[in-house]
Amino acid sequence: MIYEIFARKSRGEPLRHIGSLNAPDDDLAKVYAFSTYDEEKWFDMFIVQRERFIEVFNRLDAAEFEPAAGEPAGESATVHT
Amino acid sequence: MSTALREAAKAGELTAEQREAVRDLILVLADSKRLLGMRYGNWMLGAPELEAGIACASMAQDEWGHARLLYALLKDFGEDVDALEHGRTAAEYRSIEALDAEPGSWPELVAVNAFVDLALTLQFEALAESNYLPLRQRVQKVIEEERFHAAHGAAWLRRIAASGDEGHEAMKTAIAAITPIVLRWFGPDSNRANAIHDASLIDAVGSDMRSRYVERAAALLRDIGGAGAFGDLEPDFSTFDEATRRTPGTSPDERTITQIRGDRNREFLMD
Repeated sequence: MIYEIFARKSRGEPLRHIGSLNAPDDDLAKVYAFSTYDEEKWFDMFIVQRERFIEVFNRLDAAEFEPAAGEPAGESATVHT
Repeated sequence: MSTALREAAKAGELTAEQREAVRDLILVLADSKRLLGMRYGNWMLGAPELEAGIACASMAQDEWGHARLLYALLKDFGEDVDALEHGRTAAEYRSIEALDAEPGSWPELVAVNAFVDLALTLQFEALAESNYLPLRQRVQKVIEEERFHAAHGAAWLRRIAASGDEGHEAMKTAIAAITPIVLRWFGPDSNRANAIHDASLIDAVGSDMRSRYVERAAALLRDIGGAGAFGDLEPDFSTFDEATRRTPGTSPDERTITQIRGDRNREFLMD
């Protein structure tokens, strides 16, 4: 499974995506996140399985919500794969 | 003996008997950490997945750091630290016997990670309130860094044991080879051990350390459905040297010690 890793340098700062890794379960994913990304002095760190991400919208698909105002007209209708 | 309970900022403030026992313990731990770092380091390449290799690299770095910190402490005991680190033969090493040979498989490395590293960490925990201040001041950092090593060992132990009969059997065999050595390594309840315990230089020795170890290791073993792995809790100390915590005449493999000394690259040393 792929996990995404988030961390921040200090309390109150927004969480920042710092990378991803492969692990078979949450326990090892936590260990790997620590050993792979411990170069910096983080205040805290979180991991989440990539498949647990819930997409709200995506400018290329634009299914659920309209893109933000000011987007070039027509882009949301672009067909892509 | 109330003076013996005073905190000591320097080794010179300890009695000769205490000084020798503490110095021996530090060297045993330093050598064990160094060997453990070599064992982890060898799996930076060859671990079952990239992330596990990175974890091994990280644990190796930690262990080497802990070893350096311990060797440096021995200066206070009048030792030539450079000679200790780079001048000794394999026969002079005092590392725990469970690290004498390179782990031959990943389950063996995991067993070392979970059950040998645990023994060293418990020994550090017993020093967390030591009256010998230079040691006490350095122990906390080691214990904190070891939390991730323990998590790695436990997670892999469960994973291998759950992978099927073959994995479970390999894990059990590897653990069974280690635990008797570790239990003996904590040493007898001797006068020598009690001397540093009575002076609060360490908060447990001998069979008390064995009990702590069995309790913590049993929790790991329960996870993989392997209770009762500790048969005899009274080790045979007939060939046990208390100063080195080893059987005289045994040693880690010469090749690894050659690597530690850096023999092949000595000619490039500029100083």
